[in-house]
Amino acid sequence: MKLKYYFIAIFFTLNFCLVFSQDNCNVFLMKGDSCRYKACKFLEESPDYFQLTQKYMEIKDKAIEMCPEYALVYKQKSTAFLKTGDFINWKTLIDKAVKLNPKENLNYRGWCRFQFFRDYKGAIQDIEELDRIVDYDIGYCQNGDYHLNIAKGLCYKMLGKKVKAIQIIKNQIEKDTTCQGLYDHLHLGVLFLETNDYEKAINEFKKQSKINEIAETYYYQALAFKKIKNQEKYSRDIKKAQELYLSKKYMIDIYTHHIDKIYLQDIQNEIEKNQD
Amino acid sequence: MIRNLQIICFSLLIQIFNSCNTTKNVSKEYPRMIGDIAFDEKIDSTEFKLCNNDSLVVQYYAFTKIVGGKTYLDEKYEVEKIFEKNYNHKIVKKESGNIRIRFLVNCKGVSGRYRIIGMDKNYKEKHFDTSITNQLLSITQRLVKWKPFIKNNIQRDYYQYLIFKIEKGELIEILP
Repeated sequence: MKLKYYFIAIFFTLNFCLVFSQDNCNVFLMKGDSCRYKACKFLEESPDYFQLTQKYMEIKDKAIEMCPEYALVYKQKSTAFLKTGDFINWKTLIDKAVKLNPKENLNYRGWCRFQFFRDYKGAIQDIEELDRIVDYDIGYCQNGDYHLNIAKGLCYKMLGKKVKAIQIIKNQIEKDTTCQGLYDHLHLGVLFLETNDYEKAINEFKKQSKINEIAETYYYQALAFKKIKNQEKYSRDIKKAQELYLSKKYMIDIYTHHIDKIYLQDIQNEIEKNQD
Repeated sequence: MIRNLQIICFSLLIQIFNSCNTTKNVSKEYPRMIGDIAFDEKIDSTEFKLCNNDSLVVQYYAFTKIVGGKTYLDEKYEVEKIFEKNYNHKIVKKESGNIRIRFLVNCKGVSGRYRIIGMDKNYKEKHFDTSITNQLLSITQRLVKWKPFIKNNIQRDYYQYLIFKIEKGELIEILP
């Protein structure tokens, strides 16, 4: 069961990497779009450089010279600034990509506003705008961890609208039971915990453990058991959280920290508090 | 024959001139890597030294990484606690937006060459009041538990950054 989710996660990661890195140039050829076709072919035939390098940027600039309306190139250029935390240059470039092709870039801008800059209102705006202009599923975020509706729910949570967040996340989980994110049930469980609905929280944590067993799930489950005064299960789960954390089984991302992530110190503080 | 030679020489000269021009323009626009921080004697401490050449500095993003372990001892938890304890919002101007401090960490875990940029809520460049930036910079400089980054058994210098979300002068979140 868990393997299935790992495969899904890997599939999405690879899929996004490929989609993001290069278009299929023949699509432009078939559409008679010689401008994008030439730029696309040029990029396809150019050597591959690390995204932050001068040479990478030079190649992208040449492609822009060939076809200034080619949105993908602005998006590709923007990534270097995103990864170095340069929000100003990132936004200028990604705005250009969105302006040229909103259907293919609003998802990325919305997700990055959330993941990298915790710009919750901006992320909601982009995700909702995408939903408005397309008649298909808005899809998943860049790293494949979430459906964009789950990310939108998390944004509402961070803006203090927890009931709305629960509704959005719950709807998304029920809508698509075949392809759930790595942390969907955890986030929903934490939201129930934060709104004092402990039984529902525990129920979600149980579902999360079946999909992807991480320290966070047991940490929050322990807190839920503490609230309903089940000391035995509280102690069991807080120890399990510590054990999983020490085995490096926790929420992780190469660029940022997830919402609801915990640290080893959080677990140790809880254990110490309980000993007092 | 002489005329042909003249044409070839003239073409070569134009090509050389063009290539010089292009290189000059491009290198003026982009550094070796986006976000590179070159030593600036006016603002940087001469005491901070990289262990290797500037061109060997690697990029690092979050504090936690799948391979290679965390970059800050006791993780982001401790960084947040240090700012929580030391940042005093009561004495600052009530401004809002994001502030990024990017810097280098050398192979011994010592940080230096700090650079600050700020943005308003519309991602437009913003120069925050020094009552905010000086505090953030000073606390960042006091983070002393950066871990050396080892790649292929070689200790490397690396880039790291912190983004501070500021709401009416208060520090709301630290990223990434």
